[in-house]
Amino acid sequence: MTVREGITLQAESAPATAALEAARLVLARDLRLAFRRPGEILQPLVFFAIITTLFPLAITPELSQLRVVAPGVVWIAALLASLLALEFLYRDDSHDGTLEQYALSGQSLTWLLFAKTAAHWLLTGAPLAVIAPVAALALGVPVSSVPGIVASVAVGSIALSLLGAIGAALTLGVRRSGVLLSILTLPLAIPVLIFGASATQRAVNGSSIEAPLYLLAAIAVLGLTLAPVAAAAAVRISLE
Amino acid sequence: MAWTWFHRLGSPPYVYSLAARLTPWFAWPAAALILYGSYLGLAIAPEDYQQGDSYRIMYVHVPSAWMSLMVYTTMAIAAAVGLIWRMKVAHAVAASCAALGATFTFCTLVTGSIWGAPTWGTYWEWDPRLTFQLVLLFQFLGYSALRAAIEDPQRADRVTAVLAVVGVVNVPIIHYSVEWWNSLHQTASVMKLGKPSMPPEMLVPLLVMALGFTFLFAALLLTRLRAEILSRERAASWIRDVVNA
Amino acid sequence: MSEFFEMGGYARYVWPAWGIVFACIVLNIYLARRALDRARFEARKRVAMKAVDAQLKGEAAT
Repeated sequence: MTVREGITLQAESAPATAALEAARLVLARDLRLAFRRPGEILQPLVFFAIITTLFPLAITPELSQLRVVAPGVVWIAALLASLLALEFLYRDDSHDGTLEQYALSGQSLTWLLFAKTAAHWLLTGAPLAVIAPVAALALGVPVSSVPGIVASVAVGSIALSLLGAIGAALTLGVRRSGVLLSILTLPLAIPVLIFGASATQRAVNGSSIEAPLYLLAAIAVLGLTLAPVAAAAAVRISLE
Repeated sequence: MAWTWFHRLGSPPYVYSLAARLTPWFAWPAAALILYGSYLGLAIAPEDYQQGDSYRIMYVHVPSAWMSLMVYTTMAIAAAVGLIWRMKVAHAVAASCAALGATFTFCTLVTGSIWGAPTWGTYWEWDPRLTFQLVLLFQFLGYSALRAAIEDPQRADRVTAVLAVVGVVNVPIIHYSVEWWNSLHQTASVMKLGKPSMPPEMLVPLLVMALGFTFLFAALLLTRLRAEILSRERAASWIRDVVNA
Repeated sequence: MSEFFEMGGYARYVWPAWGIVFACIVLNIYLARRALDRARFEARKRVAMKAVDAQLKGEAAT
């Protein structure tokens, strides 16, 4: 049975658990498809690495000075890499009609898009949380700041994936939507950038990252409840 | 009774003629208020003991800032109404707001920047309120860009409506940014609970200008709304009567 | 009177700021009216074309 058949069958059984089950199926499908093309998974991460490399080349190789800008550099690179991966979030499914099937399936489109966003975070945000500290170390931050950096990027990238899902849903079907997607998503992502960079800065300084981390978590939770709903609304409108 | 009024607002010909009739009632008072407010603000209001005469920029800066927030809020509300009740007219209102909102935001940023030079010693600071006001400008521009990128007009209406509603979160951020962060900007002296902390000779010109700008926005919105309604209605029969009148 | 234009020495800040705002206001008034005029023109064109269409169809039917 294909995933699509499975989802439609689920619609006929108990609705509440069916939504979660359908979401789990979509998540599994997205991850499986992504791992068939590992190159696509690596692209945003390589992009991230390249951008962080550009800064020492363009500004200064002095570690003492790079340390000062490291938090901001890491976060901007993470933001851009996340935006790059977003394009792929809906593109393939909207081209082959799977997205329409999801909308027509009778399942909660909100949950299905939440599953797709979760897949995006697992494929992009979580790996970024692992390699961001490596990049930061290369930019001269002390080793003690690594846990803080991992935490802030992990939580912040959740918020980024959610906000980006809204932007991707809005630009569905727009030709060459990459730049427009960035223009729409970046304003929403600015608070995440501010608190994320602040948390990273505090981790580098050795002070407590609690305050900005909690704010990042608050944005992520708010996004968790609202973003899939807005994205589902936007997708339905685009598919009309 | 209230619902009849609401339903009538959903009818494009009704709104078109209503807008045509109302526009002069906003346009002329707007001109009078802005001219009178300018006279008060530039010539009559006393000098500030700290900033001298440079503070008079406030009389265009603050109304522009208030308007930028008001326009975005109007746009978001119209967008929400359009989405929920599927009213074409509401979407037309939202579309009419974009250019005006961008203009007010631009004026806020430019006048603020000019005012900042003698006051803070710099033309720009990455101060929270300035930064989020700049973000607001990007939001207006992004809204227009998205609208232009989608070919089908109904889809464009509804997709940009979602964007407008999602982005409204920036409006309270801008307003409260001076309290949430240490900011170069002074905290609210007018829009706060309790009495404003500005002497009346300085406050009155500000309120006059703000009212004038609001009436100006209304007049311009109604004009653009008429244009939007006309271009959306294709060759509906009521148009014949309107254009041949 | 010259005191008024001097703005206590801040003339080069106050007048450009006010000038830009008023220029934007005037520009917006112009653009809004132009949009309305253009919309009316286009609408009139469409109505006329529809009338011609109907007339031709009427003639073709007979």
